[in-house]
Amino acid sequence: MIKVNSGLIDKIKISEDFNASACFNCGTCSALCPVGFDILPRKLFRYVLLGEEEKILESTDQIFSCLLCRMCEEQCPHDVNITENIRLIRNYLAKSKLGV
Amino acid sequence: MSGRIGVFVCYCGGNISDYVDVEKVKDAVANDEGVAYAKTNMFTCSDSAQTEMINAIKEKNLDGIVIASCSPKLHLKTFQNMAQRAGLNPYQYTQVNIREQCSWAHTHNKEAATAKAIDLVRAGIAKTRNSVPLTPLRVNTVNQALIVGGGISGLRCALALSDMGIFAHVIEKESKIGGNLKDIGVVFPDNKNGSELIEELEKEIKKRNNINIYTNAKLIKKQGSVGNFECDIMSGDEKLTLNVGSIILTTGFKPYTPKPNEFGYGHPNVITLVDFKKLLANNVKKGELVFNGQKIREIAYIYCVGSRENNKENGNKYCSRYCCSAVNYASLLAFDIDKNLKQYHIYRDIRTYGKYEEYYEENLRRGALYFKYDEETPPDISLKGERIKIIVKDRLLAKEDILIPCDLLVLVNGMVANENSELNDILKTPIGKDKFYNEIHPKLRPVETVIDGIFIAGASQGPKNISESVASSMAAASKTASLLIKGYVDIEPTVAHVIEEKCTGCKLCENSCPYEAISFVNRNDKVIASINPAICKGCGGCVPDCPEDALEVLGYTHAQINSMINSMLLEAK
Repeated sequence: MIKVNSGLIDKIKISEDFNASACFNCGTCSALCPVGFDILPRKLFRYVLLGEEEKILESTDQIFSCLLCRMCEEQCPHDVNITENIRLIRNYLAKSKLGV
Repeated sequence: MSGRIGVFVCYCGGNISDYVDVEKVKDAVANDEGVAYAKTNMFTCSDSAQTEMINAIKEKNLDGIVIASCSPKLHLKTFQNMAQRAGLNPYQYTQVNIREQCSWAHTHNKEAATAKAIDLVRAGIAKTRNSVPLTPLRVNTVNQALIVGGGISGLRCALALSDMGIFAHVIEKESKIGGNLKDIGVVFPDNKNGSELIEELEKEIKKRNNINIYTNAKLIKKQGSVGNFECDIMSGDEKLTLNVGSIILTTGFKPYTPKPNEFGYGHPNVITLVDFKKLLANNVKKGELVFNGQKIREIAYIYCVGSRENNKENGNKYCSRYCCSAVNYASLLAFDIDKNLKQYHIYRDIRTYGKYEEYYEENLRRGALYFKYDEETPPDISLKGERIKIIVKDRLLAKEDILIPCDLLVLVNGMVANENSELNDILKTPIGKDKFYNEIHPKLRPVETVIDGIFIAGASQGPKNISESVASSMAAASKTASLLIKGYVDIEPTVAHVIEEKCTGCKLCENSCPYEAISFVNRNDKVIASINPAICKGCGGCVPDCPEDALEVLGYTHAQINSMINSMLLEAK
């Protein structure tokens, strides 16, 4: 069971550009990804929004392997800043979890 | 009585002629008693065929016609109008259905289908032979209307009627007009306060001299019929009688009240959407939302409470339609007060239809989270401890259990019909299985009831938002105007009638009439039944109940029906 932790999102959302909540789970982003994430962006965003830190940590490698090519973002029907969101999640992981 | 009858048999392209020998039907009846002319047409409903028939009626001096074609549901009015244009009484026209009830039903046996078609046409000829010209009944109308219910629908309807020069009487059961809207706070889509909207209408109404408003009022008695109702009203302690041409029901709705413990209802921090709206209206201090002295940080909403309960016995099966938009709007109002609020929407479907979809998208952008649940697996509420805990299966994460803690749980409750049994006993208005008023046809006659002169509007008819309620009240106002402004109404003459010399006044028919059209009068020292033709619908329910055969429906008299049966029996020999 996932317990919603509403505090996490406030830590990640240091910039107004973070708009993962606008995602409505259509899946267009995953279909176009040249890397082929194991964890889909929409699923990652869902975990971030729910504050499920453990699942995010499990996906650290995936999150850092993103090419930031913006292919997904171009196609997103809801204008989710997918790559910017990924960058902000990286920022959070680097600062508070990886001790960079 | 018609003695010179024209018979027209239709091919309907091949719809009829592929399975019925149309020429044989025509030849078989051409020399029957009373038939002066018989002809076939490829498409009887076409303009050219109608022109030909009009010419034939005039040239052959026909006094009755039979058209054997499709269902009268499709073309009865077409051919009645055609008969009228030819100078014939439209009630001396009979339509015989040899398509739906013959050719389409017996595609496997042309010979038998043809024999049946002949029988049916013969019956039609027999009925026409015994037909008499009928004229629609003309009833004079009173240029006033009674509106039951002083909510936004009723008030807006009164103004519309007033604009058209119709005097409107509005009766409101409460001491103040405004209905549900007056205390619901800010409403979408123009962010105005409900009470302000009502005040605007009230101000406008005060300027008019053809609107009367009665508060603490109810209808206690209704007599008369379309165009001329006599209504007794109790307003406070005062009793008065109003003479009106039509009645419009805008009795509104009441919010569904959850049952004790339904999704935790009863706990001080579990409230309904209606209460939440009041909370938002009373807590406009920027930056914080306070409830019971406690600052609210996390709010959860559970949708479809008291709506769409297909699995529940006696549950409300319908969708209340307005609540998705209303709760998404309320959620935005809450964000306006405190943008750091965490809001969790636990829904079954987001039905923010039309432009209200924007509220949903705006909530997504502002960070509200949405969880979809199935009717089979509703969210589980735990009220133990300080905070409310909700467990919901998140469909986006393959039904993983999610635990949502919150300070305030809002149950998004729908609309239920108001309890109006006293009123309904007086008016006999039909009610649907969801307990709201029923219209005649949801698309073609959406604000009319089966009772002539009684209209329905607003949420009395089913859940509606404010603009939809007003739209339907405008529709009811224009239907009322089209009825009253002309000064008279024409009523179908095919109604029940009493054969006075046969009636013994036994009163057996009285209870068979669903519309209360039968009363008893003294005629030549004898009590006999009397039908009010303006109320009678011509359903014929009373006819078989009469032991003396003293009742019959005009256009379907005993002589006509018996002759139809006899003509069919003749053929069977």
